[in-house]
Amino acid sequence: MTVLGYVANGLVFSSIIVLGSIGLSLVYSIADFANFAHGDTMTVGAYAALVTFGAVGGLGGAVLGLPYGFFLALLVGIAAGAVVAVATERLIYEPLTTDSIGLLITSIGVAFVYRAVIQIGFGADFTRFEIGALRPIEWLIPYGIRVTRHDVAIVASAVVLVSGLHVLLQYTDLGRKMRAMADNPTLARVSGIRTRRIRYWTWVIGAGLAAAGGVFLGLFNQLSPRMGFNLLLVIFAAVILGGIGSVYGAMLGGFLIGMINQLTPLLSRLGEVLPLVPDGFGIPIGIEYANAIAFVIMVAVLLARPTGIAGEEAV
Amino acid sequence: MSLLGDPVAWVSELTRPETWVLTGSLAFVGALFGALAVGALGPTYFLFLVGLAGMYALLSFGLNAQWGFTGLINFSVAAFFGVGAYGAALMTADASPIAGGFSPLVGLAVGLLVALVLALLIGIPTLRLRADYLAIASLGLAEVVRLVVLNERWLTNGSAGLRGIPSFFVGWPVLSSFPETMPGLQITVVPGSPVVLETPFWEAALNVVVIAAFTLGTYAVLRRVHRSPWGRVLRTIRSDEDLARALGKHTYAFKMQSFVLGSLIMALAGVFYTHLNLYVGPGDLDPITTFYVWVAVILGGSGSNRGALFGGIVVVTIREGTRFLNDLAIPVDPAPLRLLLIGVLILVVMRYRPQGILPPQRELIWPAARRSTEPATPTETGVRARGTSGSTADADGESDGDTATGVIDDEVEDATGGERNG
Repeated sequence: MTVLGYVANGLVFSSIIVLGSIGLSLVYSIADFANFAHGDTMTVGAYAALVTFGAVGGLGGAVLGLPYGFFLALLVGIAAGAVVAVATERLIYEPLTTDSIGLLITSIGVAFVYRAVIQIGFGADFTRFEIGALRPIEWLIPYGIRVTRHDVAIVASAVVLVSGLHVLLQYTDLGRKMRAMADNPTLARVSGIRTRRIRYWTWVIGAGLAAAGGVFLGLFNQLSPRMGFNLLLVIFAAVILGGIGSVYGAMLGGFLIGMINQLTPLLSRLGEVLPLVPDGFGIPIGIEYANAIAFVIMVAVLLARPTGIAGEEAV
Repeated sequence: MSLLGDPVAWVSELTRPETWVLTGSLAFVGALFGALAVGALGPTYFLFLVGLAGMYALLSFGLNAQWGFTGLINFSVAAFFGVGAYGAALMTADASPIAGGFSPLVGLAVGLLVALVLALLIGIPTLRLRADYLAIASLGLAEVVRLVVLNERWLTNGSAGLRGIPSFFVGWPVLSSFPETMPGLQITVVPGSPVVLETPFWEAALNVVVIAAFTLGTYAVLRRVHRSPWGRVLRTIRSDEDLARALGKHTYAFKMQSFVLGSLIMALAGVFYTHLNLYVGPGDLDPITTFYVWVAVILGGSGSNRGALFGGIVVVTIREGTRFLNDLAIPVDPAPLRLLLIGVLILVVMRYRPQGILPPQRELIWPAARRSTEPATPTETGVRARGTSGSTADADGESDGDTATGVIDDEVEDATGGERNG
C-alpha cells in the first residue's frame, strides 16, 4: 500500500477517534472528571444501532452504499448513547458526594456495568452490521488507495457532526453557556446559567458523538462488547495530546492520533517514504504496537506539556 | 485488649461494621467447612481458593501501600503482577525461551528485580503528574507492557504462554518430596462421602504455606511502616501534598518509595501465582486484574490493611463463586456476570460507603498510646492538644462523615498524643 493509501485509512480511523475524543474532552471539562465509561458508551451506541438496523432493515434506497435504514439506526444509536449517559448522570454521578477521583473510580464501575449488560445480551463474540462489504472505489486504486464508499460515508458523517458541534458551540446560546461553564463553573452559576441543565446537555452531546463513533467503528471493523474499552485509552491519548477541555484540541488530537495509528506500518520503512533519508532506514516497530505508540505519546505529552497542543496554560 | 487475653472485651470494643464483617466471615468459613465435610467442595480446590485469596490479599496490600497510604492512583497493578509472574516463570520453567531450569528462589529474585526496574520506569515519569493523569498514564503504560509480553515471542513465548513450571519448593531438602511421601488420608465425616487427601492436596497445602508466609510477612511490614514516621508522611501527602511539601518533605521521593514498595508486593503476588497456577500467559496481564484489586481495596477501606485482606477474599469469592452458578441451573455466562457484580459493587460502595467497610481507625494508633488514653483522666498540663477540632468523630469508631477518598487519618493520630481528654 502506498503512503496515500495509509493516509486515506488514517483519515477514516481519525474520524472515529475524533468523534470519541470530543465527548470525552467535553465531559472532562464540564463534569470535571476522567470518564472511563466513555469507551463503553460508544459500544452502547453501536449495539443500539445494530438492534435497530436488524429491526427496520434497509428501508429501500441507499446513500454511499449504506441503506437508509442504517442512517436511522445511527440516529437511534446516538439517542441511545445520550439517554444512557443522562440516566447515568442522574442515577449514579449526581447523588455522589465525592471528588473527581471518586467520580473517576465510579465511572469504571459504570463502564463494567454497560459492558456486562451488553455481553449478557449479545454474547462476547464479534458481530457485524448486515450490510454487504463493498469493493474499494475503482478509480482510486491506481493511486494505491483502497477505501470503500462506506469509508467515505464515515468521514462525511463525522465532518457533518463536527461542523454541527462547531456551529452549536460558537453561535448558539447553549454553546456560549457551555463554554462559560467549562471556563469557570462557579462564575457561570452566579451569572444565572442553569449549570445542572448544561451538564445534562454536555452528556447528551458528548455521549451522542461517542455513540456515533461507536456505530462507525462497528461499520469500519466489527462489533464486540470490548470494542469501546479497547479504544478508550487511544481516545484518552487523543484528548491529552489535544489538551483537556479544549474541543478543538480534541479534534486535532484525535486526528493526529488516528493518523499515527494507521501510519505505523510506514515507520519500519521510513527510508522509502521520506526524501533525504537513506533507503533501508526504518524504525523497526510492527503494527501490533500501534496503540502502544499512542500511549507513549500520551505520557510524553503529559510530561512535556500537560496542557496539550491547544490547552490553555495552568488550568 | 488482646483477643486471647480478654475476648469479651475485645468483641465489645468492635465497631458495628467490624462486628458485621466478623459475623459474616465466621458464617462464610463455617459454610466452607460444611461444604468440605459433606464433600461438596474438594479439599484440594479449597486450598487452591485459599491460595488465590491470599494472592489477592497480597495484591491489595500492594495497592494499599500506594493508593491507601499515599493516594497514588496506580492502574498498572496487572503489569506488576504480570512481570512478577513472568520473571519467575521465565527463570524456572523447562519450556522457557531464555533461561529456564533455575531454582524458584532465583525466579523470586528476578521477578522482584524486574518489577523494581519497571516501577522505576513507570514511576519516574508519571509520579509528578496530577492524580487523574497518573491514572490514565499508568493504565496506558500497563497496556504497553501487556503488548510487549504478547508480541515478543523470543522473550515470552507470546500468546502461547509458559508451561512446565515447577512447584515453589523444588530442590529444597524435605519439602520438595513432601507431597509424595505423605500418606494418602481418608477422612469420613459424613458417612458415604469420604474426603480423600492425596498428593495434590499436600502440594496445595504447601502453596498455602508459601502464601501464608508471604501475606503475613507483608502484613507485618506494612502495619509497622504505616505507623512509622515514614507512614505518617505518606498519609500527609495523601491528605494534602502541598502541606507535606511545605513541611519540608521531598514528596516525590516519598511517593516513589511508596510506589516501589507497593509494586514489589504486587510482583511477589505474581511470583506466587506462577507456582500456584503452573502456567502463565499474556491473559494474566489483562487490565481486569487491576480493577479486581481496586475493588478489593475500595471495598475493604482505602488505607486499611485488614480491609485489603477482607476485600481480597470478597473478590475471590466473586471470581470463583460465579463459576458454580451454572451448576445451580442459572443459565448465565459467568464472565459478564462477574463483570456486572464487580461494576455494581464499585457503584454501591462509592455511593453508600465511600470510605470502605473497614476504614483505618484504631489500627493506626500505637498499642502503647491507646492504653495510655484509655483511663481518660484529665491531664492538667495546660497544654492544648494539637488540633482538638473535629477529632472526636473518628476516634470512637463510627465515622460516616468521611469524604470519599480522604479518610482523615490525622484525626486518629491526635488520639495518640495522650493530651486529649477522653
